[in-house]
Amino acid sequence: MKNLNLIGTVLLSGALLAGMTGCHHPKPMVTPIPNTGGPPQPSPGANNNLTPGNPAPMPNQPQVNPEPIPLSTGVYSQLFEGPHNEDRDKFKDDTIHFDFDSSVIKPSEESKLQDLANYFKENTRFEGLIIEGNCDERGTEKYNLSLGERRALSAREYLANLGVKPERIKTITYGKAHPVDPDHGESAWQKNRRDDFVLVTPKQ
Amino acid sequence: MKIKFKPFLTAALICAGSAATVAQNEAPIEIHKPADYVVPVSLSGFQGEVESVLKFDLSVLGMAITTPEKAAYLVSGRQNGRVEGSLSQSGSTRPLWLRAYAGGTARSQAHAFADDIVKEIRGTAPIFQTKIAFRIKEAGSTEIAMSDYDGNDVKVLTHDGTLVEGPAWIHGGHGLLYTSWRNNSEEILEQDLDTGARRVFANYPGANLSPEVSPDGQKVAMILSRNGSPNLWVANLQGGGLLQLTRTREEDSCPCWSPDSREICFVCRAGRARLQKISAEGGAARPLRVAGVYANMTAPDWSPDGKWIAFTSGSGSFTICIVPAEGGDAQSLVAGEDPCWAPNSRTIIFTRRVSNKSILCLLDVFTKHVKDVRQISGSCSEPSWAR
Repeated sequence: MKNLNLIGTVLLSGALLAGMTGCHHPKPMVTPIPNTGGPPQPSPGANNNLTPGNPAPMPNQPQVNPEPIPLSTGVYSQLFEGPHNEDRDKFKDDTIHFDFDSSVIKPSEESKLQDLANYFKENTRFEGLIIEGNCDERGTEKYNLSLGERRALSAREYLANLGVKPERIKTITYGKAHPVDPDHGESAWQKNRRDDFVLVTPKQ
Repeated sequence: MKIKFKPFLTAALICAGSAATVAQNEAPIEIHKPADYVVPVSLSGFQGEVESVLKFDLSVLGMAITTPEKAAYLVSGRQNGRVEGSLSQSGSTRPLWLRAYAGGTARSQAHAFADDIVKEIRGTAPIFQTKIAFRIKEAGSTEIAMSDYDGNDVKVLTHDGTLVEGPAWIHGGHGLLYTSWRNNSEEILEQDLDTGARRVFANYPGANLSPEVSPDGQKVAMILSRNGSPNLWVANLQGGGLLQLTRTREEDSCPCWSPDSREICFVCRAGRARLQKISAEGGAARPLRVAGVYANMTAPDWSPDGKWIAFTSGSGSFTICIVPAEGGDAQSLVAGEDPCWAPNSRTIIFTRRVSNKSILCLLDVFTKHVKDVRQISGSCSEPSWAR
């Protein structure tokens, strides 16, 4: 049995079995992994002074955080990984758009992020946010996936700087796979270069 | 031109799927010709699937099928339960060799014959019985599939009805890594092609993207955003050894391995998207000097012989380019994106967007001849060649 100590969490879901091709397979053997869900492994030789699980310090002004914020969702993991509702309508008017090939938050988009930040700062309910990063079609596949993720992370950092706990925010990238407008041309492309915001609430 | 077949002393027993040769070899005459020469070749004595496989394979390596009068090489033979073939040079009365290919299917026999012809004329490693993996679009979702290099015998390997990205072969061709969105987040899965079994290779918080296995089969390069930025990381395929290689605040993407498994070439954003190299053990990344390209450079792939890095230039309109692996002048080849080298370091499979879908195409780098892989219906992208 291969040593699975690389894996942060172990999936025991039926999805693993459902994903297999038509033949009958025995249930996969699972090797318990030490430190599951614990802090990330330190990188040898790296000057890694980030403390896992703690958000970076918040400056007074909203600005690009010079330090990256780790993606751990801490106590909110139960929310994102457990049964939950995803509401795409709540923040549909707060979708933010980007310039071509850029993940910089434009000044025109800042008020939407402020609205989002106000919602989350004012509510102490066990709710979270998924930021979905998207691109137009003018990039190769893997490049677009990284760019989409970078766009989602930029919005997350901006919200963290406004006082939203980063553990409440999950990111996901879709690259160019989810265009709002499948047409070719700038009027379609500029609609597709976006972050969408999805409210996550626990299923009652 | 009539070929007399010499009596064969023994018939070889063949294992399924491969073909052996039985021959009395002539000493090959050394022909020196530039690699970019489109070699005219004539074909006779074959019909149906054998003929169409021979025609396709030879044209993939930049040979033009023509009449015997105009041909530099003459390929002839017959198919009678097995493929028997000979290769002659124009003007010579005796063939260079005569061989018989038995076992497997007529298709695999034809491919084996074509591999021998190409070895003689181009001097390159065989590719016609190799496999590719790619992403195929079905209604609303994408799945991972594999096929013969020419698109024959497509097998769809996933059925999750979600998004997938970037199939990457595990050395030996018995497994694939790819990214799946089946659990509403990007995780890297490993699928055993013999058993169909899957396991999660990486599902750290954030994105787990773009896996590539080192040629020695030991390590996986990938893009993880777990520390807050999409960066390049490396880990052991068998577990452990997780190492963060880059810490840029822009987005890193598109890792590919050097043939000696010691370095990774990847895309880094420094203004526009550029190619960089870094040791798999860590250290400073250094730019790959690419002269003559002013657009974004993405999707690199390092040739198995170590000499070239192919990549995509452009945004919106894409071009397949190659640059010497140590840096230098880039050459623009053909319109297309996402190149992947064949084991012969001469053929590249890539994606081309046409009307409202994508197709896979085969490029002969030195003649720039392109052959569409039309056998696969449906929209395909992100090809990966088993090497």
